[in-house]
Amino acid sequence: MYFDFHVHSAFSEGESSLREIAAQAKILGYHGICFAEYFKDKETMEKLKQELEQVEKEVKIKMFLGFEARNANELKRLVKLRRKYDVLLVRGGDLSINRLGVETPEVDILTHPELGRKDPGLNHVLVKEAAKNNVAIEINFRSIMLSTKSTRALVIKHMMENVKLCKKYKAPIITCSGAISHWQLRDPKVLISTAVMLGLELKQAKETVSSVPQKIIEQIKERSSGKWIMPGVKEL
Amino acid sequence: MRLRVLPPTLREKRRYIFFKVIAEAPVEYSDLEAAVWNTMLDFLGEYGVSKTSVWLMKERWDIKEQTCIIKCNHLSVPAVIASLGLITRLGDTRVAIKILKVSGTIRGCTGR
Repeated sequence: MYFDFHVHSAFSEGESSLREIAAQAKILGYHGICFAEYFKDKETMEKLKQELEQVEKEVKIKMFLGFEARNANELKRLVKLRRKYDVLLVRGGDLSINRLGVETPEVDILTHPELGRKDPGLNHVLVKEAAKNNVAIEINFRSIMLSTKSTRALVIKHMMENVKLCKKYKAPIITCSGAISHWQLRDPKVLISTAVMLGLELKQAKETVSSVPQKIIEQIKERSSGKWIMPGVKEL
Repeated sequence: MRLRVLPPTLREKRRYIFFKVIAEAPVEYSDLEAAVWNTMLDFLGEYGVSKTSVWLMKERWDIKEQTCIIKCNHLSVPAVIASLGLITRLGDTRVAIKILKVSGTIRGCTGR
């Protein structure tokens, strides 16, 4: 079972509708996708939830609602509303937000920590925190796909360093397309092959698109069961 | 004079990657060929491509189904698949590549 947990639709910075993305994901062989949108207000969130449910029934693919926090204030607001949506992503790139992302147990994924940086954006301290708080570090395929020449070489180098640290400290790694259009969605085998090229074993690379997202889905189910209070605390 | 064929143990182990082009509009083989070579040379470099022993099989291009087979050695399958994933456009058409099967024989790929 393959999942892509970082896709933007027209609700945030994306170009394609939920329906177009869901249909393309099904063609490519995904079992589920998570839309990572930017948080506006509760009303938009409810509207988005309803549309997701409708498209899920039509296209018959599992769909999850996620929000990507772009700064500390947004993250604070989203942590407060944690029960109301499925996946919490943090848009990495800035050192302070990278640190905040890996230190917050409510966060599921830290996206592209190396974005726009001259260093990998993570060190051993941050990766240990990510492993402790079970925050998955993302390999973003769009960062590789849309960059060229020396920029692409730099992005790949930083990703390799992050992968090396994650392997050493056993922090979860997730590979996502990071697509902003349904034409940027990629076959899961492409994402697996990219993870292999970045230094993971084939088995580990497969886990980044299957078992790591499945663990996040288990957490979603646990959270929505009503017994969940906060990370690590639940009613018996 | 022709060279003698290498014994099987000394031959390179081949893999055939069967893929489908999902595009806005039907694409031509020439566009696919240009995109595959340009992307692979950009991503892997000339030395990297030489190590993959890659070859796009023109005779296996199915214009109706928009499928084709790319040949490489068994060690470079991830590199070739990752490179195929980097193809975003064929000419002016936006595309995505779907990997259908990886096999050691052409018959294993196509089932024919």
